[in-house]
This record gives sequence, structure tokens and C-alpha cells, in this order.
Amino acid sequence: MEHTFPQKVLEHLFSFIDSNKDRNAISLVSKSWYEIERRCRKKIFIGNCYAVSPTTVIKRFPELRSITLKGKPHFADFNLVPDGWGGYVHSWIEAMAVNIPLLEEIRLKRMVVTDESLELIAKSFKNFKVLVLISCEGFSTDGLETIASNCRNLEELNLQESDVDDLSGDWICYFPDSYTSLVSLNISCLNNEVNLSALEGLLGRCPNLQTLCLNHAVPLDQLPSLLSRCPQLVELGTGVYSTEEMRPEVLSSLITAFSGCKQLKSLSGFWNVLPSYLPAVYPICPRLTSLNLSYAIIQSSDIVKLIGQCPNLLRLWVLDYIEDVGLEAVAASCKDLQELRVFPSDPSCLEPNIALTERGLVSVSKGCPKLQSVLYFCRQMSNAALDAIAQNRPNLTRFRLCILEPHTPDYLTLQPLDSGFGAIVEHCKDLQRLSLSGLLTDRVFEHIGTHAKKLEMLSVAFAGDSDLGLHYVLSGCENLRKLEIRDCPFGDEALLVNAAKLETMRSLWMSSCSVSFGACKLLGQKMPRLNVEVIDESGPPDSRPDNCPVEKLYIYRSIAGPRLDMPGFVWTMKDDSSRRLELDVAGVEAQFRNL
Amino acid sequence: MSETDMAVIKPEMMKPYVWLQTSDDSIQQVEQEIAMFCPFICQEIIQKGMGTSKNCAICLPQQVSPAMLSLILDYCRFHQVLGRSNKERKAYDEKFVRIDTEKLCELTSAADSLQLKPLVDLTSRALARIIEGRSPEEIRDIFHLPDDLTEEEKLEPLRNITDDPRIRLLNRLYAKKRKELKERERIKNVEVEEEHVDERSVDDLLSFINGNDRDPKGIKTSKNKKKNRRKKDQQKNSSSKEEISVPDKKEVLNGHNIRHQSSETDGPCETSNLHHNLHHTYDDPMLEFDDDDTDDEIDPALKAKIDREVEDFARRLNCDWPERIKDFFSSTQERKTMLSTTNGNGFLRRHACMLLPCVSVFYLTHHEFAFRMKMNPPRWPLA
Repeated sequence: MEHTFPQKVLEHLFSFIDSNKDRNAISLVSKSWYEIERRCRKKIFIGNCYAVSPTTVIKRFPELRSITLKGKPHFADFNLVPDGWGGYVHSWIEAMAVNIPLLEEIRLKRMVVTDESLELIAKSFKNFKVLVLISCEGFSTDGLETIASNCRNLEELNLQESDVDDLSGDWICYFPDSYTSLVSLNISCLNNEVNLSALEGLLGRCPNLQTLCLNHAVPLDQLPSLLSRCPQLVELGTGVYSTEEMRPEVLSSLITAFSGCKQLKSLSGFWNVLPSYLPAVYPICPRLTSLNLSYAIIQSSDIVKLIGQCPNLLRLWVLDYIEDVGLEAVAASCKDLQELRVFPSDPSCLEPNIALTERGLVSVSKGCPKLQSVLYFCRQMSNAALDAIAQNRPNLTRFRLCILEPHTPDYLTLQPLDSGFGAIVEHCKDLQRLSLSGLLTDRVFEHIGTHAKKLEMLSVAFAGDSDLGLHYVLSGCENLRKLEIRDCPFGDEALLVNAAKLETMRSLWMSSCSVSFGACKLLGQKMPRLNVEVIDESGPPDSRPDNCPVEKLYIYRSIAGPRLDMPGFVWTMKDDSSRRLELDVAGVEAQFRNL
Repeated sequence: MSETDMAVIKPEMMKPYVWLQTSDDSIQQVEQEIAMFCPFICQEIIQKGMGTSKNCAICLPQQVSPAMLSLILDYCRFHQVLGRSNKERKAYDEKFVRIDTEKLCELTSAADSLQLKPLVDLTSRALARIIEGRSPEEIRDIFHLPDDLTEEEKLEPLRNITDDPRIRLLNRLYAKKRKELKERERIKNVEVEEEHVDERSVDDLLSFINGNDRDPKGIKTSKNKKKNRRKKDQQKNSSSKEEISVPDKKEVLNGHNIRHQSSETDGPCETSNLHHNLHHTYDDPMLEFDDDDTDDEIDPALKAKIDREVEDFARRLNCDWPERIKDFFSSTQERKTMLSTTNGNGFLRRHACMLLPCVSVFYLTHHEFAFRMKMNPPRWPLA
């Protein structure tokens, strides 16, 4: 028997349902639920900005207050996506400026944001509160000036890892004296010094400030006075963590400052560390839950001394200077550790110069029962080690292993690492994210297709023997959303045979593989809800035979049709004629570029 | 109740009992102190003076059945006692909502109609917990709801977005272009064509866009023919297997033969299967949208409007390139000059691949690892 709720009761009920997945589910229940849900939806996450048009989103969700958009594919982080590829946010901002004036939060990742966009944001949304730009680019400190001057209710400004044209450190002076609502500020990506007295004033008048991540240009001897303005901080990213010479008075003022921060739980920054200053943070170590030392070039012994005092650590990011012995210490003292990331100090060096091997990871997997998320760079690995890790830690949800040299086999047996990764997917039943490396045949993909049923994102490079590998993954991994592949011998067959699968995924990236231009065209023409884009900087792919492999291929599902902002080196495979039209438009573009 | 309300109540109104009529028309006596907990009942008593006798029983909203009233009164009876701790109240609430979902739904509506907000919140949260983590099908089952969204609505295809002017325009141009090409192909022999770069000048392109088609009459008369042919193709496509098989035979597409190159067509092809059954029911929206060619039956005024739009687009192409694109170009230029002169990270990024041909620097999550190479002096990382 059906019970009909009054609309406002359903709306009220929906207000208790927050996660994107759940909101998506309730919107698909029935016509009436769809209608009610869409009118009261406040937050939306769009994993690919080209999957849907701004107009569609706004039309469907007129009451939005928070939007999250992602632009470029993940492999853009590794310079595989040429500049000018796309990911422009401006059309979104324009549409929302007109239709959603009450918008409060914009979170972007890997998108191109211009100063014009920032200005439009600053002037259009009276109640604007949160601006998060992760790995974004295209804007300068001029744009930040307009944000600072106009957004009176701003709570969060986070520029993490963005490429900002740092023209002047005075942009921070544009926060008016009456502005006091700052909660979170992350400027760690900026290159130049910000106006420190303005920053101090800002920190002093914002009592709700919880997060402050400075950039490397902030000198260490200024840190104590900055901290004294905001002792209530929960998260701190230091600037450079050294002075030309060790100065005892700097150390003592640091100690005083840190001792005053009773709520501090998270530390990062630590550019260019002078180890003698590390003891200043010892007082807060017992409270630390998150420690990011991935820029700290310090020896294992110093790292161990620090971490030995952090028994409550949940998250640790560190360089491979920590070495196996350091990781053993982590395994012994950080029993609540959930996330570990070990970055390479010198990726280009081919000789193993650091005593960090697979043993470090094995000991952490054994000693830390809550470990869920791993990112590990190393130079050697064995199937036995992977097997041990899998059996020790079946609760792993994210496992990214990066053996620096491609095609590296098991160093003990010289066999491929198929069985090792096989053990990982077999034991870690809730694995959501996996990155492969080392010498791998099609067999590893068979294991993945058979066991990795909850896998959502897979990154593959220099692996596999044939199309069978790709086929296993596409046909076996039911929850796969993102697949990124480079330098693998995967061709047309697996892709075309599993074409329907691609519409159930967010995106597929393939570069330096063996997918032919003809197959791309076929896919583009046959699959109306897929955008098939070929990236080729050497010229139009149709100037070569159809069986020539394409340089890079990016396929994503979309209900917005082919995008309108493709640069000259991106071709859509929508249709023979439409592709030609894009070519023509590209030609016109080129004309304009020369003006 | 506010103090003024209390002042207005006459003494004879403070009887211990109040009369309530539930949805089944039955009337019952209820302790007034308890019943007043519900704002609706409170209002009826104070503002309308109802409920003092059986004859003027307060008519409760139709969502309130006797069973629901009983539950609600239990809730009120518990919570109106002042001495209870928060822990007690919480424990009671948790137990209170452990009833079957149907009752919970009814209770939510009943509590809402009586404006008893705390109970509405409590039951709503309980329902929300039931809903969380479930699929649409499961939710439908639990709440006995109809599955009345069409496949199209579930996917929101292109054809619902006709009011985005750029999409409309682009589709218009695609349609025109496609017609022209199909016409050309129909006339030519079907052979493998050497792909050639489009060498037309900008003027040619603009004249095309402006509608100076070379063979307007030809296109118009063959429109219907093409429409039918397209429909036939569509039917053929949808009736055949959904997987795009890579057969040994040639496939003719838009006049080009796409011959499967590899010889290993067995194995994977045979064993693959379709996971997504949406394709079986869903028509190809792109083709359908193209078929929806308004040029055919369009009235001249609307056609003129559309032609003007196309001209407008052409004009904008010519001298008034959309701001966004202009910005994009100028910013790229600026960035390019900046990067090459200041030796910024972008410059390094461009050349990173060249300097490290063998190393798979692909999993790095920090941009700077791409440039932490042997550079002198070492460049500080971006972030």
C-alpha cells in the first residue's frame, strides 16, 4: 500500500539525506520523488564538467548552494594532457551568476579559471562562502584581489596545488578591515611573499580561523608572530622551515608559539627543513593526527624522532628518506594509521640510493591494523611482499604502488608481478582504487577482472600483452568508473567489444596504446552518449590512414554532446561531418590566433 | 504556549480532558495537558475554543488515525515530563522509531499535520537512515512507490536540452553539414577514400554557414529520402546485437570502409556480453534529434529566425569571437610568454617529458615531481 507524503514532508525528509550517492538514488525512485528532490537539492558533484551542460544542471536544480566540478583527466597531473586542452569554468560561472545568485560554494579541480571568472564570482554571489581551487590554473593574484575585496562572507579560500600567476603579494591587503569571517586559508602554492603585516592583521581579526597553510616564501622567523595571532588553529602549513643559520632565539620563540596552539592536529609545509628546528613541534606531536613531510628533505633518524612522538597519527605523507627502518618505527608507534604516502625524493635517479624497499611497506601493513590507503613509490618489489601485504591488510581500499622503472619484475624471482597484485585484489575485497606498476602480463588483468568487484578507479602503465588484458578489466570490473592507461599494447578489439561498458563509466584515458583512428571513429559514431576525443598534436588524424594508432584518446560519457571548446589538437569522433566541422572551426580559431 | 496565551485562558477551560476526533470519525477523550503538546491541538483549543465537549470535539487532520494518535500521545506523554535526562529521552526516541516502515511513514505525516516538529524530525531521521545506502529499486520497494520514470528521464538525454542555444546551433550546423556530405556521398561511388584535410578558406566556411549551399534544391528534395533511409538504418541498428562486433566482413560507414585489421577476432568477441540493458530500450537520441529536422515543416517566420541565428553565429565567428574564447587565447598567449621568459613551472612541465624519456613519472601527485630533476639551482615546488 502506497503512502503519499505531503511534498513538504518529503522535502524535510530529504534534508536529512546528504551524500551524493543517496541523493542520486532518491532522484531515480519515481517521478514525484525526482521532482521534489531536484527542487530541494543544495549540493551537486559533477565529476566531469563536460558530461553535462551548465544549463541542464541549473534547470534541474534551481536551489543549488554548492557545486563541485572536475575538469581535466587525472593524467594531466603527469603532463600527459597538453596545455589548452580545456576545462574552462567560465561558462559555468556565467550561467550560475544569472540563475543561482545565492550560490555559496564553488569547488573546482583541474580546471582553468581566469581572473574574469574570479571577478564574476566575487560580484555575483552575495553570500559566497567557499572557494576551493585544487590543481587549477589560468588566474593571477589580480583575481584574488577581487575575491578579497568583494566576498564579505568568505569562509574558505583554498588554492591547493594551483598554478597562480603571482604578480604581487599585496592581494591579501584587499580584505577589508571589517572582514572577519575567514575559517580556512591555503596559499601554499604561491611563489612570492604575501604582504606579511596584512596577513597578520587578517589572522588577528578572524576568530574562527581553523586552517592556515602558508607558502614557502614565509620566513621561519615570522611564523611565531603569525601563530600568536591565531592560536586556535587546527591545521597549519608552515612556510620554509629553516633560516640561513640556526638561531636559538628563533627556536625558542617557535617553541613558545607551538605550545600555545592547543588545538593543532595537522601539520604540513616544512619546506627546506633545518633539523635543529624540529624539536619546536614536539609539544604538539602527541595530538597530531595528520603529518605531511613530503617536502621535508631530512634524514631517516630525524623523521623517526619526530614520528616516534606522534602515536595518534592517522595520516602520514613522507619522502622515501624515511627508509625501511623509519617505516618500521611507524609500524611500531602509529597504531591508528589509516593513510600512508611515500613519495620519491629523486625519481629520475635510476640507481637505488635510498634504503627504502618493499620491506617498509610490508612492516607498515603488518603493524598498522587500520591502514586503508596506500601510495608507495619504490624501486623494487616482490610477489611475496605483495602477498604478505594483501593478507595482512584485507581492509585496504586504496592501493597505489609505483615501481619507478617500468617493466620491473619481481626482484627475487624475476617473474612478473601478476600473482602479487592478484593477491591484493583477491584479499582486499573493498578495494576502490588501484594503481599498477612493474612487469605485468595479461594475467594480472584476469585477476583484476575476476576479483576486483568494488574497484572504481584503475591506473595502468607499461603493462599487459594484448587486448585480452583490457577486455578482462572492462568486462569484469562491475563498478569501474575511471580507467586510465598509458603505454600498453591495447588495441581496438577490447574497446569495441566492450563499447557499452564505456557508457557506465565516467571516463577512459588511453595514451600511447594501439587504438586505431578508425576504431575511434566507429566508437564515436555508434555511441551517442559517449564523447570520443582524439588528442593529436602532430596534426589531423585523418591525414593518416585509419589504421594508424592515435596518440591519446579520451572517452567520457556525456549528455551534453560534443564540447564546443576543443583546441586545435583535439578531435571529436562524433560524426564524420561533425568532425570536419570541428576541423573547420579549428581552422578559424587558428586564423584568430594569428591576429 | 506564550504567557499572553495563558492569560487569555479562562479558568473553566483548564479541564483535565479534551475531546479529539480522529480520521475514522471516532471521538476520544485525552488528557489536555498531553494533547496541548501538539501545536495544532493547542491552537484549536485556545483560538477556537474547541474540544471542551464531545459535541465540539477537535477535528484532527485526516492523517491522524486512532493508532497514530495513540503513538503520538505516548510520545508526548513521555517527553512532557520535565525531569528526564537527555540520555533518557534519546534512548526512548531510538526505541520509539523501531517500528515498521509503513507505520513510520504514517507517523511522519500524522506528526507533521499536528505540527509536532520534534517528532517529525525524529521519524524523518529514522526514515533517512532506512533510505541511505539503498538503490532506487530497494527504496521503491520499501515505500511502495511506482516506477514511473521513463528511461529517457532517468538518463536525461540530449533532446531535453534544446534550449541551450549553442547546442541547438551546433546541432543545426551538424545537420546541415551532414546532409551535404551524405548527398555528396550518394552521388559518388562508394570506395575507400583517402582522407584529406579540409582546405577551404574561411570565406568558404562562412558562406556555407550563411546558407549559401551549393545545391540547396538538391538537398531539400532529397531530405525526405534521407530521413527515411536514416530511420531504416536506425531500425537496423537497434535490432542487431548491441555490442559493436568487430567482424571479418567490412563495415560501410558514411562511405568509408572500415576494415578490421587484426586477424585475432576470435575469443574475446565471442565471449563478451552486454552488461547494460538500457541500450535495448533506448533509442539513439543523437540520430532522433537529427531526424527532428524542423527545416521541413517549419513556417517561414521561424525559418527566417533560425537563419538569422546562424548568420549571427557566423558574424560572431567573424568579428566578435565569444569573449570566453578570446580570453582563452589571450591568456594562453600571456602564459606562454610568461612561462618561456620566467622559466616557470609550465616551461619545465613542457620539457619534462623530453628530459626524462625512460622514467615513468606518471603516478606523481605533486606537480613538482615532474620538475624535481637535475636542474641547477633546484626549483621550489609549486605547492
